[in-house]
Amino acid sequence: MSEALPEFDLARPATVEEAVAARAGAGDARYLAGGTDLVVNMRRGIVAADRLIDLTGIAELDRLDLDGGGTVIGAGVKLAAVAENAEIGARYPAVAEAAAVIAGPQHRKMGTVGGNLCLDTRCVYYNQSEWWRRANDYCLKYRGNVCHVAPGGDRCWAPFSGDLAPALLIHGAEIEIAGADDRRRMALSDLYTDDGADHLTLGDGELVVAVHLPADNWRSAYDKIRVRDSIDFPLAGVAVGLKERATGGPELRIALTGTDSRPVLVDGIAEALADGFDDSTFPAIEKRLKKQVQPMSTTTLNAPYRRTAAAVVAKRLIARLVG
Amino acid sequence: MNIAAKNRSVGVPVPLVDGIEKVSGRAAYTADLAADALVGRLYRSPVSHGEITRLDVSRALALPGVVAILTGDDCPHAFGILPIAMNEFPLARGKVRYRGDPIAAIAAVDAATAEKAIDLIEAEFAELPAYYSSKAARAADAVLIHDDRPGNLEREVHHSFGDVEAGFAAADLIREDVFDCAEVSHVMMEPHAALADYDVERERLTLHSVSQVPYYVHLMLARVMEMDSSRIRVVKPFVGGGFGARTETLNFELIAGLLARKVGGKVALTLTREESFISHRGRPQTDIKLKLGMTKDGRLTAAECEVVQRGGAYAGYGIVTILYAGALLHGIYDIPAVKYDGYRTYTNLPPCGAMRGHGTVDVRHAFECMLDRMARQLGMDPFDLRRKNLLTAPMRTLNDLIVNSYGLDECMDVVEKVAGWSGRAARKTPGKGFGMACSHYVSGAAKPVHWTGEPHAVVNLKLDFDGGVTALTGAADIGQGSSTVVALSVAEVLGIDLGRISVVANDSTVTPKDNGSYSSRVTFMVGNAAIDAARNLRDVLIRAAAEKLDAAPEDIDCADEAFFVAGSDQSRLTFKEVVAAALVDTGTITVKGTYTVPPDAQGGKHRGGAVGSTMGFSYAAQVVEVTVDEELGSITVDKVWVAHDCGFAINPLAVEGQIQGSVWMGLGQALTEETVYENGLAVSGNMLDYRVPTIADSPPIDTHIVESIDPNGPFGAKEAGEGSLSGFLPALVNAVADAIGVDMDELPLTPDRVLKAVAAKARAEKAAAKMAAGR
Repeated sequence: MSEALPEFDLARPATVEEAVAARAGAGDARYLAGGTDLVVNMRRGIVAADRLIDLTGIAELDRLDLDGGGTVIGAGVKLAAVAENAEIGARYPAVAEAAAVIAGPQHRKMGTVGGNLCLDTRCVYYNQSEWWRRANDYCLKYRGNVCHVAPGGDRCWAPFSGDLAPALLIHGAEIEIAGADDRRRMALSDLYTDDGADHLTLGDGELVVAVHLPADNWRSAYDKIRVRDSIDFPLAGVAVGLKERATGGPELRIALTGTDSRPVLVDGIAEALADGFDDSTFPAIEKRLKKQVQPMSTTTLNAPYRRTAAAVVAKRLIARLVG
Repeated sequence: MNIAAKNRSVGVPVPLVDGIEKVSGRAAYTADLAADALVGRLYRSPVSHGEITRLDVSRALALPGVVAILTGDDCPHAFGILPIAMNEFPLARGKVRYRGDPIAAIAAVDAATAEKAIDLIEAEFAELPAYYSSKAARAADAVLIHDDRPGNLEREVHHSFGDVEAGFAAADLIREDVFDCAEVSHVMMEPHAALADYDVERERLTLHSVSQVPYYVHLMLARVMEMDSSRIRVVKPFVGGGFGARTETLNFELIAGLLARKVGGKVALTLTREESFISHRGRPQTDIKLKLGMTKDGRLTAAECEVVQRGGAYAGYGIVTILYAGALLHGIYDIPAVKYDGYRTYTNLPPCGAMRGHGTVDVRHAFECMLDRMARQLGMDPFDLRRKNLLTAPMRTLNDLIVNSYGLDECMDVVEKVAGWSGRAARKTPGKGFGMACSHYVSGAAKPVHWTGEPHAVVNLKLDFDGGVTALTGAADIGQGSSTVVALSVAEVLGIDLGRISVVANDSTVTPKDNGSYSSRVTFMVGNAAIDAARNLRDVLIRAAAEKLDAAPEDIDCADEAFFVAGSDQSRLTFKEVVAAALVDTGTITVKGTYTVPPDAQGGKHRGGAVGSTMGFSYAAQVVEVTVDEELGSITVDKVWVAHDCGFAINPLAVEGQIQGSVWMGLGQALTEETVYENGLAVSGNMLDYRVPTIADSPPIDTHIVESIDPNGPFGAKEAGEGSLSGFLPALVNAVADAIGVDMDELPLTPDRVLKAVAAKARAEKAAAKMAAGR
């Protein structure tokens, strides 16, 4: 039974460029920021890394630029700093609200924005010891051939459970990525694919450097369901954004985490709102939401509950924003 | 033995005598002592049930850095806590019975090497059918998990007291409900750990372990290692909790000893959190069928209860658990007739055992839920209904348990008042509900596990030239404060400052044998032994003081660090003066005190009648206020009011902590905690999936101490650490019923279960409305 941390090299770059260079060519190298996900997974034996690249000495990753029209949040900014930042709370309430309820206070002091966006997917068949997984013939996500959640299929259903992503999606966030040769920006939604075994689209050695948020006038809110409100990962997390328009009623966005292998920005909300906002609106939204998320038996709590409860949370957040 | 507290060393809140070490981080726990030890690791069974057809450790043994490997071949002797049910081996011999059953043990120079070696062990199994529920294990064609236990039953209990048939015939209201309580585990803060050091030259073994029962560990080490017990030393250093997980010798303790002898040195076996979970010995999943009869004015006429406990792979304490479940139907209310049928099964899961409130919790839960539901049916207040069924102490129950003190009525009065029970209707908002329940627990099992004829407890005191009193006790302080109880009791009797007293506990070469910390026995038994020892020491000192003061010993009293002629202000001698006088000619003084439970308190003559017997029951009542979110199924506990009759609070600060801890542990079992297995693999073997409430999830708990002054307890004290647990669960479920009109029969009340019950109720109401409309 393993809990010992395996041997590894530790690189301590001072710049993003050095970090990316340290990663290039190294076998199983991983970036290390807060370590609240990675180190636990290494001890569990589900992440093999012979080199860790410590990002905590890179000043650029800590930038928090709220002066311009938009906002830039460095990937190394601590979750607690996001939660406590009044300006973020005012401009992007869902982002601050999401950051404030990630895990426990100690995790938020260590955990970073980049780490939460790149959080590994989770599953009761995966987040177990080496002994456990071997006794269960491993799983599709790591070393095995079968997804125990849906043994007949050929994909991994482990859900993504980062809280920040849905909140950032509501606000149209982009991320800045550093690769071996260049930097690029893309929509945050493009960071993810719906495959629990390989849910990030990052190229080899690429590093998320920052989140860029446009100046907008979306009001937003975030909430989630858990059994324990103290430290549990979300069984489902919901971010809702609402923008008043001069004519034709409000515009609405809903994004979820914890249900699928990627954060889900619900489609077809505009159609549901086509006739304005009245009593029939929510049932139409609920129908779309429930159709577009697919929680599976990846937690000890039953999957249909997570879908039902996600819709309830969405309804309440909408009521809060509309009200 | 009850003597009145007069010196005020007892009865006032004081920090635990070993608290400073803990909060300052100076306390050394077992793993802290292991710096220069070889690292032990276990190879555990990957299958639930099977014959071991091949086991080859040669490749692992050949790995550089591996010092020794043990297998079942090195473990010829079975062990177990109950002399009549020893069926577990330190390492499996021939057969494995649950996923995680230890098969081989490695000692290596470091953890990485040990883990590498584990991967090199080769084993093959001929798998047998595995059973994960009592029902499956009891099926007619089920393969036997232990060859000598037909039907995969460890023990059947059939007890009937009073005329049950007549009782139900006399009832105006009969109700029968079925309850399913999930298995829960202790999750003590410190994971399991043992450190064994074998001295090859002297052929002696020293074991440090996390045990609650060092004496039983000592006995089992001698048995399993075929050593004379005089060559074994067992030490319990600081221990981070137990809650019953360590009330029996556990396999890792014995394996550590065996490994140390094999390597001829020191081996540490520190288990991971997951391994601590699968060592288990927690509260079994329990099915309860309970039928109660009642007159229309709320008097109980009869009770009939069937309990099936899913016991896991080995015996452990199982026989005691299933007996407790029936025995503690008694001792709290006056019930004219009680029938009990209990079945403790074997299954291919980690073994169950003792856990805080051993045996009683799930049955008390069912009983108190039923009382609430029947009160509703009769249109009675649940407090009033219980008041119709109180006992009057002293009395003897139908199953021959003695009740010498009984503060339940006062506990109910207190919580009814402080919770504002009568005015609760005005505080009710949608989703808000109030529930109450009562509970009780033993203050020590009257009959020890190993019957030797020795006293139940012994405390030694040493008084020397320095005026310091050293109390030597084998009682295992696992955080509950037992060493403090010993110190306070001695200070009280001698009338001396607490600072004069040092407690030395749990080193078998120094301290007297003690049966250990289980069944809330320590305060009652060890407390009484400490008082006895202190009185014996006081007698010595009084004789010396009398001689110096030229007075008769019977006229001498002591208080405030002085000895004096009672009623006189003159002729006072300081404690140190008296000590100096007492040491003349004799030198260092050592005295002993003992406590023995009288035979007539050790239970009835019926088979299994010893279990449940105790010198004193604690009682508790509590009110729980909840808010239920009917759309999400989530429950918020807004507040808990609890009153606990501990006889007398020797240290009110520790009592309050114990009551809060009991309520909090009940909260976990009621709302969030359950072990989950996937084909026998513990899915919830970590602190994310096994959801112990954190402090952020904990409600305000308003605790009240009720003191019924037990005639036999130390200063009148009874137990404080367990009795309030079992009442929380039903008080919560009753509050939920009050809030949303749904009676929950399954524990824990996770949000998915609540929503399911809410939906079932809505369906039933719809069907009823349809029927009514169609009529």
